[in-house]
Amino acid sequence: MSRVYFSCWKDELIDNRGKPKEEWQESAYNFPEHYNVDQASKAFIGWAGFALFDEDVDVVKLGTEYAAQYQIYSEACGRCAPGRWGGRILYDLFDKIARGEGEQSDVEHLKEVSRTMMETSKCEIGRTVPKPLLDILTYFKDEIDALIENKKPSKYYNDPSVSYIAKVTAPCMDACPSHVDIPAYIEGVRDLRYDDSLLATRKTMPLAHTCGRVCPHPCEEECRRANLDEPISIMELKRIGADFEDEHSLFWLHPYKQKPLNGKKVAIVGAGPAGLTGAYYLAMEGVACDIYEELPVLGGEVAVGVPEYRMPVKKYNKDIELVNSLDGVHFITGKRVTAEDMRRFEKEYDAILVASGTRISKKIRAKNERDEIKGYWPAINFLDCINLYVKYGIPVPEEIRKKQKLDKEYVDLSGKTLVCVGGGFTSMDVVRCAIRANAKKVIMLYRRDEATIIRNTTYEEYHEAVEEGVEFIFYSAVEEIITDEEDNLKALKVNRFELIPDPNGGRPQLKKIEGADFIIECDYLVPAVSQSADLSHLPEEWNIELTSWGTIKTDGKTYMSSKPGVFAAGDCEYGPMTIVNAVGQAKRAASVMSRYVLTKEANLTDDEIMEDHLRALKVYDKKEKIKGWLPGLPRQVSLKLPVEERKHSNKEVNLGLTQEQAIAEAERCMRCYYIAMVAV
Amino acid sequence: MIKFSIDGKEVVAKRGETILQVARREGIYIPTMCYLSKVKPIESCRLCVVEVEGVEGFVLSCQTPATPDIKVRTDSQALYTHRQNIMQLYDVNHPLECGVCDKSGECDLQNKTLEFRVDHQEFSAKDQYRPIQNWQYIQYDPSLCILCEKCVHVCNEVIGDDAIEIEYGGYKSRIIPKDAPTLDCTFCGECIAVCPVGALISSDFKYTSNAWELRRVPAACAHCSAACHLYYETKHSSIENPQPKIYRVKNEFEFETLCGAGRFGFDFENRAQKDEEAFGRALEAFEKADTIRFSSFITNEEALILQRLKEQKGYKLLNEEARAYQKFLDEYAQTSGKTLYEADLERIEKSDFLILVGSFVSSDNPAVRYALTVSQKRQGSEIINMHPIEDDLLKPVVTKFVKYEVGSEEAVLGMLLDGLLDEEAKEKIGKKWFEELDIGYLSAESSVGEEEIADILERLQRQHRFKKDRCTLILGEDLYTHPRAENLAKLAGLIDRFTDFEVMLIPPKTNSLGVALICDLDEEGGEYTIGYNAKGDFVLSALGDGDLDMPALNQQEGTFTNIDKRVVPTNVALPYEGYVLNDLAKALGVSDKEYTIEFTKELPQEKGYKPIDFDDLPNEFFNDGTEHRGYRLENKKVNLSRKNIEPIAELPEFNGTVLYRCEPVLQFSPFTHKAHQLHWPCALVGSYQFSVAAKLEDGDEVVIHSKFGEIIKHFRIDPKLKGTVALLGTSDLGVEYFAMQGNYRYERVKITKRVEP
Repeated sequence: MSRVYFSCWKDELIDNRGKPKEEWQESAYNFPEHYNVDQASKAFIGWAGFALFDEDVDVVKLGTEYAAQYQIYSEACGRCAPGRWGGRILYDLFDKIARGEGEQSDVEHLKEVSRTMMETSKCEIGRTVPKPLLDILTYFKDEIDALIENKKPSKYYNDPSVSYIAKVTAPCMDACPSHVDIPAYIEGVRDLRYDDSLLATRKTMPLAHTCGRVCPHPCEEECRRANLDEPISIMELKRIGADFEDEHSLFWLHPYKQKPLNGKKVAIVGAGPAGLTGAYYLAMEGVACDIYEELPVLGGEVAVGVPEYRMPVKKYNKDIELVNSLDGVHFITGKRVTAEDMRRFEKEYDAILVASGTRISKKIRAKNERDEIKGYWPAINFLDCINLYVKYGIPVPEEIRKKQKLDKEYVDLSGKTLVCVGGGFTSMDVVRCAIRANAKKVIMLYRRDEATIIRNTTYEEYHEAVEEGVEFIFYSAVEEIITDEEDNLKALKVNRFELIPDPNGGRPQLKKIEGADFIIECDYLVPAVSQSADLSHLPEEWNIELTSWGTIKTDGKTYMSSKPGVFAAGDCEYGPMTIVNAVGQAKRAASVMSRYVLTKEANLTDDEIMEDHLRALKVYDKKEKIKGWLPGLPRQVSLKLPVEERKHSNKEVNLGLTQEQAIAEAERCMRCYYIAMVAV
Repeated sequence: MIKFSIDGKEVVAKRGETILQVARREGIYIPTMCYLSKVKPIESCRLCVVEVEGVEGFVLSCQTPATPDIKVRTDSQALYTHRQNIMQLYDVNHPLECGVCDKSGECDLQNKTLEFRVDHQEFSAKDQYRPIQNWQYIQYDPSLCILCEKCVHVCNEVIGDDAIEIEYGGYKSRIIPKDAPTLDCTFCGECIAVCPVGALISSDFKYTSNAWELRRVPAACAHCSAACHLYYETKHSSIENPQPKIYRVKNEFEFETLCGAGRFGFDFENRAQKDEEAFGRALEAFEKADTIRFSSFITNEEALILQRLKEQKGYKLLNEEARAYQKFLDEYAQTSGKTLYEADLERIEKSDFLILVGSFVSSDNPAVRYALTVSQKRQGSEIINMHPIEDDLLKPVVTKFVKYEVGSEEAVLGMLLDGLLDEEAKEKIGKKWFEELDIGYLSAESSVGEEEIADILERLQRQHRFKKDRCTLILGEDLYTHPRAENLAKLAGLIDRFTDFEVMLIPPKTNSLGVALICDLDEEGGEYTIGYNAKGDFVLSALGDGDLDMPALNQQEGTFTNIDKRVVPTNVALPYEGYVLNDLAKALGVSDKEYTIEFTKELPQEKGYKPIDFDDLPNEFFNDGTEHRGYRLENKKVNLSRKNIEPIAELPEFNGTVLYRCEPVLQFSPFTHKAHQLHWPCALVGSYQFSVAAKLEDGDEVVIHSKFGEIIKHFRIDPKLKGTVALLGTSDLGVEYFAMQGNYRYERVKITKRVEP
């Protein structure tokens, strides 16, 4: 809800003109009423209309500035005839009226050129820029007529005290936690300029190989093409540019030239996606980074958690090498950071970024659940053992081999039955790795239903696991772990549940079905329900505030913790989440930190402030009707390794789109760029 | 197949075919300003919008594939108004200088402005100052530019130079050299060709003629074996001089691509009068002669005349370069079972796995390079380039470069054959040959590691995991003159026969393939030689430096047999007033024809030629891009040879200073060099490494002591070049050039610094 003086946005019109303030009707949309904590906004204008928060706003000037912003931002577009010339004419005509030199015929020309732009521009930016301008012409006709009549400039035409802050976005960009310029990288593929495609990605996302393979792609949930037929295969198009760089040895394509080192230094704890991203953008800004990693290898959970068949380490290493190719980036592996180290870091570095993830597997809360049980194998450790061997040839440590009764130096589950309790990505990795480790039988226990597991992961992931032979048992949970006298895992007592719909329309409740319990005999139980953060390296006396989830608390905007100079990003801040979330947070944190090390102040750029405002308003509109595109062009589906070939190997399952498929898919993209602007 | 309708007409689209493509194929007009058939839709002009029944708003026809049963309307009042508005926008601030603009009369902006009756302007915007850019052969005027982006797309998607880009800036947008202060490219000039307005023009042509004054002569480019389609455009030289001259060259840029040599190297004609005395001396020389030596820069018909001279007068025919190619083709046929190689340029474009051996294609045959670019960009193909010298211009498309030692081509093909063939095929050919293959030795001597071959095979497997698709092996000029050429040809034939690869044997010179098919060439000459564009005791020369003048190929009509095994016609751009070969043949009683082209229908049918009159040969492209030029030779079956392939010979060593005969881009022969825009000396170009080894500095004048005598050259270091082999351009050596062509391209030489006399 927003308090507005006047607003028209999509189908909603709020007109409080002439009404006393106390009678003002509110808008249902979350407009950026307050630009930031200590600054109120005067007006907001964007692709679907505009909102005035104040009676004293010069709307004609607002329109002129909006048209001007389109000109300034036209490097994002300016590629079609209606947009290029139309945008310029739009501005010239609007400004002419605002200056007090306009004629009624200019209003007619404005409408004419707007119509052409709205019906034929290449991307939404050109199609939508005229919309609020026409709204101004309609709802503020009297003001316009008066300016034309009196030949006088608009009220605040020459007032420099108002600033106008604009931002280009798109539904997919808005939905992406890293705010990747998705239309631009898709355009790169469409134009067969694969280098440009990669450069667009790397503006906000250094892990193009990784997020071109294993991103859960929230962007595709908010792809406007879905309103027409099916969403664009956004994620898979990302790897095209990255693979192009790799295949043609074009190392390295950076989005801009790295700034010279400025003498400032940052310590980063953890070399996972968040740590790598932080290092990349800090170093690009000229800040040296030392990245401390506990594991013997770089890459964090993507290296040791995500299996080889989903994310080949060769490709991930390319992302890591990209970061390492920058001046001032220094990795220290095999170094577990302690509280003592952190105290030292505080003195030796200008800031600290904690990106240590969530590496403790949570318990499933069953009777007799104890770490010592032989065969009880927390998911994080299970995946570490598998991946360190598969990807790096590092054998399973002696004590784990002993505990888990392994007779080889790697995980071989021949003849064994493994049960995993989970339902998220990690549990999928566990069961599919277990299949590849030759297990006799692999069972996934999940409390809820198939639809939920698909929602929590992806359809592909679930489907592929079933194909490979994983047995899914839904509506079930372990009540008790049964062990023998030597504390070996023997079996599980499992309860069955049913879903009871909520008569009030809420989330259905799980109810245990009495007498339906059953026993599963098994050799291993892998709890993979969730993970928590190990924050033992935070010095107690720093009193760093934590969330109720036991993660580091920040304001979610600057990512600075309660202790100035200590920032946190990724899972250790948010809780176990996606790679792209970690990248987005770390990118933002790096940006804030690059200024913090110089000024000791944690603040956001206008672009970042607008980014957050637009996310609150939400750019994607599920109900919007799409015009000017032919529906019914199917989404391209990438080729997968045949199930027999992939079941017993660690070869990459997803072979990616072929070039022809990728180009066809890129041509489905509707380039839904929008421009939004705030007057403060 | 997708059935739908356009303007009520029932049409059928292939999968993925766009509405516009179908419309064009069906001859239904949809206006466009930015659409260029040979690149991906650019989508900048928005003129091609159409209405689809049931779909709100306009649909972009250029990039939208047809879906079943849609009803498309290409014209309506609403569409007309919008197109008119777009044209009105295009016209905002477009300089009103049509009177002096090179493009006037053939300008898309002019045409569409008239078509949509934009006779007044309602829109205006503040004008801006944008200076003209001079980029050597090319001039760019941003204020004339409509930013359709055709130039940028063709440069990246077809040529592979990727030398220009758009500097985004909305209304201020313009075309700029990519990552460089000035344009640094191969100057193919395609950007000029595709420019719909006068923004990108030829610096040389500027202000010399109105478009409508020029006479268009459809022809085939005479510089290399691609024999690309082009138009010579001619008119009188000046007010004082009524003699026609060629002003420029244009091409069917929608479907075909022309390189800079074709576009800028057009005035190589030989102006001559009938010199009766010289003609008499020529006939005397023919009386004396027992040998005719000639080059492959001739038409099929001339080749046939020479063959008739041989048949009827007993002359020996010498053409070392074509002879080498001919033998290669013959040996290839012995193991492949076909008279001709299978692949053509279109096959390359559609291939997704290509291996290139023994050709420096970016200068040997740019058409092949462009086809490779298309295949890489479109199919994401794997392109393996195997050569002793890395071709810098090919780098953006090549996915793997494999360097082999000079002279070790046989080892390279041997290892490829061994890797590509399955056991069954090896059994058929004879297990013994493969068992005796000493891969360790071959690998060590050729510097091509076993792991590199393994990697190539792995890439092949990866590319074809799901569909066995199109693989092509492209072999070049280096192989034909190789001392082991016969065995190389057999190995290539086996690859064609026993694998999914189709093979292309790039004909080395313009009409090498025609000569190889039409003439019985001899190995050795006799006592007295007539040279035709070649060395001899009496020289017939189209360069104008011999004993009797001959017409150059832009002054002749006739046909070439090109790389696509297509017999393509060419026409007379400039009149020739001297004697032609047919005149000599007539005088010698060998020809009874008035015109050379009467021989066209007599070209040997047993070699795949057809008895078609020259005047009946088509020479055009259809709306859907299909080529209708002349006809394609029939590839005939031949019996397989019972002769076994030979074991791979001991590999030669090439130590010391080694030069590779390789023309700079834009040069092919003395004929390109003669053209006024390309009349610059060809340097000896080496890497830093070469300069150190040869003790030379950039800019040195050097004497190369070659088996062809002493050659004086300017030495230049190319920082992009690697390795110890230097590139020797020979286009500027006149008739010497022809003498070199039959030899292996690499030569060990001595180089000394030239002491100023």
